Amino acid sequence: MKNIIEISHLVKKFGDFTAVNDISFNIEAGQIYGILGPNGAGKTTTISLVLGIERPTAGKILVDGMDNMHNKAKVKQMIGFMTQETIVDSDLTAHENLEIAARLYHLEPEEARQAIRIALEEAELTEFKDKPAGTFSGGMKRRLYLVKSMIHAPKVLILDEPTTGLDVHNRVQMWEHIRQLNAKGVTIILTTQYLEEAEELCNKISVIDHGRIIATGTPSELKRMVSKGQVLEIITTREASGKIAKVLQSAFSLNATVKEDKIEAYMESNPLITFSEVLHRLMKEKLPLISISMHLPTMDDVFIKLTGSSLRDSVGENKSDRERVMFRR
Amino acid sequence: MTLYKREMLIFKSHLRTNIIRSAMFPIIFIFFFGSIGSSSINVNVAIVNYANNAQSLSFINSLTSTRTMSVVSLTTQTDALNQLSAGQVTAVIVILPSFPRMSAGNPAVDVYYSTSNFEAVQAVLPVIQQAAGGFGSNILANQQSYGVTSLRPLFGTTSSYVVFLVGGILSMTVAFGMTFGAGMSIITDRQLGNLKSFLISPISKNSIVLGKILAGATEALLYISITLLVGAMDGVGIAMGLAGLAWIFVIGIMVAIGFAGISTMLAARIEKIEAYTIIAQVIVMPLWFLSGAFFPTTSFPSFMQPIIALDPLTYATQGIRNVMMLGYYPIAQVALDVGVLAAFMAFGIIGSILLFKNYTD
Repeated sequence: MKNIIEISHLVKKFGDFTAVNDISFNIEAGQIYGILGPNGAGKTTTISLVLGIERPTAGKILVDGMDNMHNKAKVKQMIGFMTQETIVDSDLTAHENLEIAARLYHLEPEEARQAIRIALEEAELTEFKDKPAGTFSGGMKRRLYLVKSMIHAPKVLILDEPTTGLDVHNRVQMWEHIRQLNAKGVTIILTTQYLEEAEELCNKISVIDHGRIIATGTPSELKRMVSKGQVLEIITTREASGKIAKVLQSAFSLNATVKEDKIEAYMESNPLITFSEVLHRLMKEKLPLISISMHLPTMDDVFIKLTGSSLRDSVGENKSDRERVMFRR
Repeated sequence: MTLYKREMLIFKSHLRTNIIRSAMFPIIFIFFFGSIGSSSINVNVAIVNYANNAQSLSFINSLTSTRTMSVVSLTTQTDALNQLSAGQVTAVIVILPSFPRMSAGNPAVDVYYSTSNFEAVQAVLPVIQQAAGGFGSNILANQQSYGVTSLRPLFGTTSSYVVFLVGGILSMTVAFGMTFGAGMSIITDRQLGNLKSFLISPISKNSIVLGKILAGATEALLYISITLLVGAMDGVGIAMGLAGLAWIFVIGIMVAIGFAGISTMLAARIEKIEAYTIIAQVIVMPLWFLSGAFFPTTSFPSFMQPIIALDPLTYATQGIRNVMMLGYYPIAQVALDVGVLAAFMAFGIIGSILLFKNYTD
């Protein structure tokens, strides 16, 4: 497959602060590419550089073989963008919103009419097309925003945390949408703080921290990078959990973490054998077991291993940072 | 002109609110403050008494006692006519030495008044005639046109203070409308993310800036019309007629473009709406007061005059007053007013384009 985006030695400095520090990666056409990283890692700056609204300090970005700083208009025409906030003009009707979007991307009048009609159908908003977007429900606005971002049929769609703040139902729906778009041949770049989202959707993931790429690969490659082991998970009663942890430590030298009635331990070598031995031992000691299982490390484990901090833990922090940005503006 | 279209659609969707909002300011100022001085004594009249006899003094007393005019006594006719020219008095009554005697071609009292202030004179003329009639005098109304040598109509014309005020309110409504229109909309667009969606699209930054400014100029058409309409409801006409109306729109739009430009420049650098509001007010408020919106710029102390001369609103207010009060707009004055406003406009447009050139979201 040919590369639709080639990023080489990208650097972006804001004064003394280096937000992006020598990043290089390629994105193949037709992929769903995930960019994963904690807040302040440089995800959004990287996206802004690809979108052409920030000028890189060094390095360059080729979109479909064109430098995005030299062929600005052409490159922008090829890229669609959607962020976690729903950006629609609430004073304008659905139709007007799409009309303005079509004009922003220089669609010919006939072309625009066609595109708007299809977009309204796709968003299931045809019967509400003359209602102001401000009167729409959250889901309707979100659908309008999606088709608005896609009005110029971009080859690449960049999604900046597309499902942050959505409930489970809407999140699954959004995933479905993303897959459908991808199936139509749209290359998708997505940043996310949800590890399972990256795992669920992406063909390839780059983990970014402190402006550098610290790992790139498919989700399973990243997992294997952490270890060949598996995670042991035991659910028991609150009283017995301490005792079980002690047994795991003394008999199998496993470092267990105890959360109320849940025990987790990481089995580095021969996980299958260790698992059965643990099971036997615990049964023999007649310790109460509600469930016992094992699984491959999750993306969260990968992340902790790679960056030394849990992405989950920083979610709350991200939120307040974002609010701070909103307030500052 | 995608952005222009968008701004206009948004403006249209709020049309009723916009009309009400832009009418509030003129209504409050024109109806309430415009009536300042319109008590029973609402016409300033200068009297020059050349007769200086018992009858002439009692004639002056009878004029004062009618309370329809406020009377100023002056010693020479030249002084009085100068005041009339300067618009400080509405009429000049000259009591000739022969008073109260008179003959057919030889009246005892002359009344001079400015044609640009005809309405106010009509109110007092019958009173003067009646009073003079009591002394058996008749009047020659000298219908000469005065009041045109000064290019600054002055507050002295009490009867038309409301006309004086409309000029100031008009340029102000436009200036305020722009600072809280164009610039503010850029800040909210940035907060809501709309600005980013314009920046990532292939349209140029210049067309974003120009779209905002031109939309502001179009909105100003509404503000100007509403102010003139409110003025008309209070009996304010335009002395220069249709040509004057055209001039008012030309001047108003130049003010609009200039201020839309300034507000865009501010919005390019200010992110918080609270900070923007404060800074915009700090800029616009002094410009407003210094422009002579409420009283003539000549009444400001001399050390402020250079600042007044630099205030573009001064020229706008001045130009509008020329066409509204004096009824004509001399070419030298046009060149000055339009020249200054054109420079102001260019400053607004070029400045905002330059400030947005390196702008990133």
